Amino acid sequence: MTKLYIHPLPVRIWHWTNALGFVLLILTGVLIRYAGSIQWMSFSTAIQVHNWVGFVLIANFFIWLFYYLFTDKIKVYHPELSPTKYFTASFRQMQFYGYGIFRGDPNPHHVTAYRKFNPLQSMMYQIVMMLLVPIQFFTGVLLWDLARFSSTIEMLGGVRVVDTVHVLLFIFFSGFIFMHAYLGSLGHTPSAHYKAMITGYEDVHVVPEDAHKPAGGAAD
Amino acid sequence: MKSTLVAGGKRLSFSICRVIMLGMAVFLLLVSGGNALAADKELGKAELACLKCHDGKGPDATLEKKLENGEVLSLHVSTQAFTGSVHGETACEDCHSSLDAKTHGKEKASIKSKREYSLSMRDSCTECHKKKVKEFQDSVHAALTKAGSDKAPLCADCHNPHTQVSVKTPQPMAQTPCARCHEDIYKAYAGDVHGKLRATKGKESPICADCHRAHDVKAASLGDGVKNTCIACHKDAVKEHKDWLPNTERHFEAISCPACHAPTAHRRVNLRLYDAATNKQKAEKTGVPLFDKRTDAADTTGEGLDERALWGLLKEFNDDAGGGKTVLRGRLEVRTGVEAHQMTEKSKALKDCNTCHRQGAEAFQSVSLTIAGPDGRPLRHGVNKDVLSSLTSMETVRGFYAIGSTRIKLLDVLLLLVVAGSILGPLAHMTVKWTATRVRAKVAAEKLEADRLAQQVGEGANSASAPGNGGNPAA
Repeated sequence: MTKLYIHPLPVRIWHWTNALGFVLLILTGVLIRYAGSIQWMSFSTAIQVHNWVGFVLIANFFIWLFYYLFTDKIKVYHPELSPTKYFTASFRQMQFYGYGIFRGDPNPHHVTAYRKFNPLQSMMYQIVMMLLVPIQFFTGVLLWDLARFSSTIEMLGGVRVVDTVHVLLFIFFSGFIFMHAYLGSLGHTPSAHYKAMITGYEDVHVVPEDAHKPAGGAAD
Repeated sequence: MKSTLVAGGKRLSFSICRVIMLGMAVFLLLVSGGNALAADKELGKAELACLKCHDGKGPDATLEKKLENGEVLSLHVSTQAFTGSVHGETACEDCHSSLDAKTHGKEKASIKSKREYSLSMRDSCTECHKKKVKEFQDSVHAALTKAGSDKAPLCADCHNPHTQVSVKTPQPMAQTPCARCHEDIYKAYAGDVHGKLRATKGKESPICADCHRAHDVKAASLGDGVKNTCIACHKDAVKEHKDWLPNTERHFEAISCPACHAPTAHRRVNLRLYDAATNKQKAEKTGVPLFDKRTDAADTTGEGLDERALWGLLKEFNDDAGGGKTVLRGRLEVRTGVEAHQMTEKSKALKDCNTCHRQGAEAFQSVSLTIAGPDGRPLRHGVNKDVLSSLTSMETVRGFYAIGSTRIKLLDVLLLLVVAGSILGPLAHMTVKWTATRVRAKVAAEKLEADRLAQQVGEGANSASAPGNGGNPAA
């Protein structure tokens, strides 16, 4: 077992700020959407908190974006361009989560500094970070000041359409948070990935190139 | 010399007399009734002749005429009131030019009704008050008159031409002419924050015409209503609301002031048909009563237009527009004109967001569809309140949304399913994984035990066979 530095400091700062921010946004989002049903804080305060946290996360998003744009670590987000390779690897990964993990099979994905995501994570995080998060921020900003962005809102189909997109993504992220927290516990120990996201170092089993069945049950 | 002196004394005494007489005249002018003197000075012979009968004393004091419909028209004109009025210097003939002095009062003229008489006299106002009449022609009152209403006010219904004083002259609040027809609204106004202030502080507080304008009166529920008028006086309103109200400008666009400032009022959502290209509220063409016809046909249950009916209606209006886009713009407002005049002090206005944003909020229980009618008043048809929270009406009511209270209910179900799935899925996976690990551990332990036993058995057999074998390696 060796330690690999795979989560650089800017990424860790972004990740935990994002995590805390998303939890706050989801909680205040629930308070806003279900106004009057839950009395944790006033509707007005919930909106203020939601707006402020939203803007902090937009700024935080740019930490992530600029870090990856200006370092070679962007390779972790490089997509697999061969569909055959990608689907084969994805299928193996799904097979592992749905079956192999119960048998104690090893994780088919081997983490390196430039390949920290398995094929499913790679696809999911590209969609989330390049598409869903920006859309959520964009619709959030539009809803923050409806009068200022009225022409854009009108062009997109009206306030109800923009809000519905925002709510659909809120629903997605609400589910994502739970799934993400659980999948993060599927390392070689339940806390392995959590510790790695704090220290930056992931415990990695060195696998001989010719080994058919590498030791350990590291799951991602 | 003597004669000269006498003559000079006579001239002096004559001059003194003139000064005394002039002084007396000035004194009389000051102490006498100003109006009466003014009347004597201003009224011409013709006017005096008219007033001789029309302001007659004695048996003719109540000069009146019985009209064909049985109404009694007073023909009495008070000289004092007339000369004190804005028309005091206007000749009778200027307005009553149709009267022939030779036959007037001698031959019986036939008048059907007071209304008909007012209509016939309307042009005489136009002669001088062109600007005001033009303003009036753009009003809901003029539209109603054109549509044949016999109740919509004409000039003389608000302004008695023989007694009208300058509008700048303060008048008792209750004498506002609007109160004669809009009695309920006036009563509400008199008891609200503006009315009470008007009673004590006069012109510091608005009365009817200050908000609704005197001549180009529009239906308050059409267009932007009187909101701009409110902001014209309450200049800091937007700034003050911004201190606590998120999306202040949007709230100002979508909510009428009384919706919050008349806290006891009942509210409703007014979905208004707009032309997206011109950004103007759609109006029904005169003589083409499409709105009622279409809404009645679409409302098959009679319980208000549902999502499908509303969508179909918009399509019909779009087809009419020849490619134009008809959209619905919602506005939250109070239900009646009386309630719109129950404004209260700022400190008592609604400020709790939950009043409108909680599910089932009263404001969203009543919904109506509106178009500007040909007479300048809104035409309405009831809409099923469920259109505000239905996924299928997302396109139809896309421009109106109140967080929380008009949320799409289907998305709540989706949220529940996703969150439940995201919790139960991992729990199930974790359970299977935990069980599988235990089973594998058990199997491994059993296998280990079996191997151990097998090894023991093997070792036992070996040790048992070893003595019997006698150490013969060949065995």
